[in-house]
Amino acid sequence: MMKNGFFFFIGLLAAFVLGWSSIPLLAHKQLGALTPFYDDGESSSFPTRPPGVAARGQLVYADLGCAACHTQQVRRPDFGSDKARGWGDRQSVARDYIFQVRPQLGESRIGPDLANWGGRKPPVDAAGIAQFLHSGVVSGSKAVSHPPFPFLFDDRPVVGEVAADALVGLVEKSSRRQIVPTERARTLIAYLQSLNNAYEYPEARHVAPAAAKEGAHK
Amino acid sequence: MSSTSTHAEVTAADTAGRWPVLLLLASGLGWLVISGIFALIASIQLHSPTFMSACEWFTHGRVSALAETTFVYGWSANAGLGIALWVLGRLGGSTLRAQNWAVIGTLFWNLGITIGLGGIATGDATSFALLELPRYVQPLLVVAYIAIGISGILAWSGRRTEGTYASQWYAVAALFLFPWLLIAAQTMLLWSPVRGVLQPIIDGWYVQSVVSLWLAPLALAGAYYAVPKITGRALPSYEFAPLAFWTLLFVGMMTGGRHLIGGPVPAWIPTLANAACWMVLFHFTVVALNLRGALTGGGTSLTFISFGLLAYLAGAVLDAVTSFRGVALVTQFTYFTTAQQQLALYGAISMLLFGSIYFALPRLIGRPWISGSFVRSHRVLSMVGIFLLVGSLAVAGLIQGTELINAKSTFGEMAERTRPWLLAVSVAQVLLLIGNILVLVNFLRSVCGLWCSGVVSEVGSFRQPTTMEVHAS
Ligand code: HEC
Repeated sequence: MMKNGFFFFIGLLAAFVLGWSSIPLLAHKQLGALTPFYDDGESSSFPTRPPGVAARGQLVYADLGCAACHTQQVRRPDFGSDKARGWGDRQSVARDYIFQVRPQLGESRIGPDLANWGGRKPPVDAAGIAQFLHSGVVSGSKAVSHPPFPFLFDDRPVVGEVAADALVGLVEKSSRRQIVPTERARTLIAYLQSLNNAYEYPEARHVAPAAAKEGAHK
Repeated sequence: MSSTSTHAEVTAADTAGRWPVLLLLASGLGWLVISGIFALIASIQLHSPTFMSACEWFTHGRVSALAETTFVYGWSANAGLGIALWVLGRLGGSTLRAQNWAVIGTLFWNLGITIGLGGIATGDATSFALLELPRYVQPLLVVAYIAIGISGILAWSGRRTEGTYASQWYAVAALFLFPWLLIAAQTMLLWSPVRGVLQPIIDGWYVQSVVSLWLAPLALAGAYYAVPKITGRALPSYEFAPLAFWTLLFVGMMTGGRHLIGGPVPAWIPTLANAACWMVLFHFTVVALNLRGALTGGGTSLTFISFGLLAYLAGAVLDAVTSFRGVALVTQFTYFTTAQQQLALYGAISMLLFGSIYFALPRLIGRPWISGSFVRSHRVLSMVGIFLLVGSLAVAGLIQGTELINAKSTFGEMAERTRPWLLAVSVAQVLLLIGNILVLVNFLRSVCGLWCSGVVSEVGSFRQPTTMEVHAS
């Protein structure tokens, strides 16, 4: 096989085909047709499609590489401290992501998991998030513990009224300037607020792994 | 120890086929320096979050992507291809064919990388690990790669020798397989994207395949060629080499799912990865047996290759150990994973490539490296740098992992505790950057000697192997 060029290439090709079909293809077969889960009791299906503005915000999140420091995948309550930290009551499942254009699972937890950050209690309002993204200061703290993203904001003169979403306390009133979130910042904020997968799918119920079969509840 | 290199003469094939190879190696080293600058910025941002934060191009997520892309597609690809073409040309027994294709392919490959890096910096990155280069340069990369690869494939299929060698298998496998991987990943992730978590699953498969089926084979091709040449001895346990080769190819790419332990994916993916991680250890054992002669030899090339070999083995063992759920509970999502990645890409693959480059260049230009002290400094800086880089990341990762498990500990405390180690990582990046600037300058000055001194050494004018190697210590 090593000497005969033809069989050598057949071997190489076989390695590729086997590797490709054993993971990408098989996974696709298993998950490619995953549908939302219809709940008779609530007469609606889950997950719901994210609003367009949040879907665009996900692209901003992806572009800025927030996933370099944040995961969006909650692990099982008995595997790590995810639940205890309030990142989610149940583990994330494949169905959570079916409507996401670019799921941002992430591989690094330099910062907290954000899979359910929009649903956290008490929630941070849009103005608070804007303040945080601009300054890098997490609410309740004084130090800059986060990379700031000042380029997501416009520093522009006030024409007429001060914009409703202008950041407060950053510029002198008399300077007649204001710092306002750009369109990208607004979509990113909407995205962060939309992050919430609270619905309990049958496959996400930790106690009964047998029920995890696809479509068990049809 | 250079006296052992008895086969160090320059062959006709070297002289006639050197330009594509030199171009590839020079491009690789150039990108290595650039990637070092990006990596330094990214590492400083981990302990000083405001560093360059006002500059959108270099926000942490983007500059990390730039560093990774430049390292893999700039440095490793160019250097690895250069070594692969050189090895295939030499072992094929005739002058490298399709040289123009290789040169044009290299120029377009690097053009594609340059445009792509600009795209990442300005917001066009795809956000897939190791596939960050924007969609619009991806087709160009495939075509350019094939143009480069043709030269090597022709050298293999037109070889004049009866038998074949392990370095040829690895080189041909890397040349042949990468376009398939890239096209498969592009199709499923960029052209007609799959949905939901299939994206990270397929991206994880691609990342692992890039390492197992492309970069590692490129690096091994050079090592399998250089070690017997330098030691002057046949490789021990060589009869197992074919099996080890096929093990890597068939099992290697299944190990990638270890990063998805506990994630929202079918459980068989990490389970399969765990089994594969242990199976593939067979490949590593055989490589260690085959190349163990490097450990007892001296000289610059062998020192780099030994280091690379040990890192290659250590990386495989760590991958296997951390593919268990119980261990991943601590190491997953932490700097420890980064440490493992750096151990593989820098400690193993890059060091093996350096070893091959130190071996190849004198034979390509017919004269030794121009500065011995630069060579020695580079050697010390890279070894110390990698130790410090991987070691500090690993310690930081273990601290981070234990803090993460403890739900009471805050991210502020975690940053506080890991900070000294992250500072050490930045120091390591500085050392590595200096070392890489030295090797780039040394390389360019040595190659310039071909024109500047006016005396282009021809075949035969240079038959004293001792002058080829830079002396150890
Ligand atoms: C260099 C790593 C890093 C990057 C890049 C990063 N973050 Fe963070 N993030 C952190 C850390 C660390 C914390 C925790 C800070 C703390 O609690 O002191 C955090 C916390 C957060 C929080 C929670 C804040 C709170 O009040 O609980 C949000 C939301 C967040 N980041 C969003 C983002 C977004 C959006 C991006 C990309 C635009 C991003 N992060 C990029 C490291 C990072």
